[in-house]
Amino acid sequence: MGAGVSQLTREVALVRARAAVPGEGVLPVLPALRDLLPDGGLRRGSVVAAGGWGLLCPALVAAASADGAWCAVAGLPQFGVRAAADAGVDPDRLLLVAAPGPGWAQVVASLLDGCEIVLLRPPERPAAGLRRRIEAAARRHGGILVVAGDWDGAAARLRVTRREWAGIGSGHGRLRARRAQVVADGRGAWSRPRSRWLWLPGPDGSVTTADTGAGETGGDETGGAGGPWDRRTGAVGEVGGASDTGAAVGWP
Amino acid sequence: MSTADGAAWRVDGAARRVLVVHCPDWAPGVTSPDPAVPPSRRRPPPPLGAAEFAQVVGLVEELCPQVEVVRPGICAIAARGPARYFGGEAALAGKIGEALGRRGIACWTGIADGLFAALLAAGAVRSGARLSGAALAAAGWSAAGPGGLRSDPGRTGLAGSGRPAGTIVPPGQTAAFLAAFPVSVLEVPELDHLLPRLGLTTLGEFAALPAAEAASRFGAQGALAHRAARGLDPRPLDLRPPAADLTAEREFDPPAGQSEPVVFAAKALADQLHAALAARGLACVRIAVQAICADGQEITRLWRHDGLLSALAVAQRVRWQLDGWRPGQAAPEEERADPDRAAALTGGVTLLRLIPDQVVRDHGRQLGLWGEAVVSDRVARAAVRVQAMLGHDAVTRPVLSGGRSPADQALLVPFGDAQPPPRPPDRPWPGQFPAPAPAVTCPAPLPAAVTDEGGRLVGVSARAEVSAPPARLSVAGGPPVAITSWAGPWPVTERWWDPSLARRRARFQLVTEDGGAWLAVLQDGQWLIEAGYD
Repeated sequence: MGAGVSQLTREVALVRARAAVPGEGVLPVLPALRDLLPDGGLRRGSVVAAGGWGLLCPALVAAASADGAWCAVAGLPQFGVRAAADAGVDPDRLLLVAAPGPGWAQVVASLLDGCEIVLLRPPERPAAGLRRRIEAAARRHGGILVVAGDWDGAAARLRVTRREWAGIGSGHGRLRARRAQVVADGRGAWSRPRSRWLWLPGPDGSVTTADTGAGETGGDETGGAGGPWDRRTGAVGEVGGASDTGAAVGWP
Repeated sequence: MSTADGAAWRVDGAARRVLVVHCPDWAPGVTSPDPAVPPSRRRPPPPLGAAEFAQVVGLVEELCPQVEVVRPGICAIAARGPARYFGGEAALAGKIGEALGRRGIACWTGIADGLFAALLAAGAVRSGARLSGAALAAAGWSAAGPGGLRSDPGRTGLAGSGRPAGTIVPPGQTAAFLAAFPVSVLEVPELDHLLPRLGLTTLGEFAALPAAEAASRFGAQGALAHRAARGLDPRPLDLRPPAADLTAEREFDPPAGQSEPVVFAAKALADQLHAALAARGLACVRIAVQAICADGQEITRLWRHDGLLSALAVAQRVRWQLDGWRPGQAAPEEERADPDRAAALTGGVTLLRLIPDQVVRDHGRQLGLWGEAVVSDRVARAAVRVQAMLGHDAVTRPVLSGGRSPADQALLVPFGDAQPPPRPPDRPWPGQFPAPAPAVTCPAPLPAAVTDEGGRLVGVSARAEVSAPPARLSVAGGPPVAITSWAGPWPVTERWWDPSLARRRARFQLVTEDGGAWLAVLQDGQWLIEAGYD
């Protein structure tokens, strides 16, 4: 009896310690993205910039969301819920704020108070003071801000530099999977860029690693997690990896 | 509690004054006749049935119309009108007793708020079938029953001219009258043993439970029993919107220039509103908070309530509403970020009103209101706070559902609303694209232009053949980008049975030079971008 109580007390203390320091701790990311982030995950209270809007943002938060974290999405009316769910995001723990309006900074601060992760596409480039205030809110609440866009002072910056679609030809086939080269850098020791090839998405919508011959068109690889696409359809990798940083066709 | 109940009785009038005539000769399984009935009036118990009772009903009907037969031996009338006619309830009871007594029929009359209490007052509810005589005495039946109360002249009066014919419970004191009875008089078999095991032996103890708790713990039947125990009519209330008196309001004179006093008053108002709702066994789905300013401006916002909000939570919503609302142009960022910002309302708030919206019967609390994942307080607080700033519909939760176009595959439900049953996503939905799903879905399709090498718009024939291979894509008037790969067309015919909703479309997947991939549709000669696979 006594031993049981003391063990319980220990466990309660452990849980309290975990809950009491929200700034501590790292939320998990998908195994394919682990090498690209400074802590091997999303550190609470930090800001991660993920280039433009695309599947990379939901992929970043997928593992944490599946692990029980709440995720708010602000400023992204075009958020593809199905694609995010296929990547691993739990739609039951999503809050969508499609149009945060002119007071978006306050909205983000409120969301950071409630949700572990806030996915944000800022409607405008924030002034330095505003940016620092949002970062302070993230630190205070132990939230993680994933920015679909650029963010000065982000702990890590990820972007898709090359991408190539597989499965589609000229008038035949269909989009089946995309190999994308994701380059990450950050501050301090993490400032040296590192890159990984990912299936973003794979044929079933999931995000896995596709690191075999970086830089080559993905005709022969099968990816990390088994048969990424149906070889029978043939046509793969016809789209050369084009630089993506300034896409000509943008979302208005 | 009792004052709230008294007010409830006066306001909603649900528990009418009821007079019950109880002829013990008909009562099945009478164990011991009440000693108050003189032996001369006692007749040998004949096998009396409904037919014999009809003459009793006839006699009562001569005095007052619309007699409701509860069961042979017991009938009830609405006491208010006849009592007024005969000059008081005691006089009415005396008249009836006299009329029946002339025919040699023993009767007890009881008058109280609501049928249940009137039955008890007339001694017409006997738990004797389930309790032995000794247990009856031990439960204080004779002491706490009509006989016991009759000795209290402050509460009850003797019927008629001193004839011991029953009990009259003064208006509004029904709850106090009921309090001493054992719970077995409720005659709800499920509660008979359960309540005493929980330590609730009397109706008073049972009635002291909050109505919502009783409903959640004991179910619908328990909720009815609970209403009965509190001296309210057990029958369900109408779902009509309540009279204006459920609205709680407070005027501010002079106008409140800051939000603090308004929020403080809101808590008291919410307490008042909750008490009024609980006393009626009601809950409101939403609550409208209306603040009227000195310059005539009005801020009204609806908040989801579902009977789940505490008074403090309502007050918090009032604060968010006041803080989230800014007169005229947007306030500077600093002010907005400051939660304790003094509400610079134009002229100050002169009136705060809390209006219950969509009042329904309180069926108790429902857990898992927001679906599978239980929303933690923290998330709910943040979401509601953002709703205060942007409006109820601005914060949504997605529900995956079935559909052919990417935008149809997620239903966005405002936070706090019950999720409607989605279109099942696991049906075939012919025409739906297989995985991978597009990461970018356009809420409204973007206009686009797909041209061939010669710059002519690409068309699709009735046999689903393209006029020429697509070569360039321009989205929303942007510069054209070369198309490197494409697939399609996939014809989609939706809702051909409904001319107003019917759509015939041809879908394409396009990959452009810059690496982007698009889901484009051609509908009525117009190219649209439905989604992007970025």
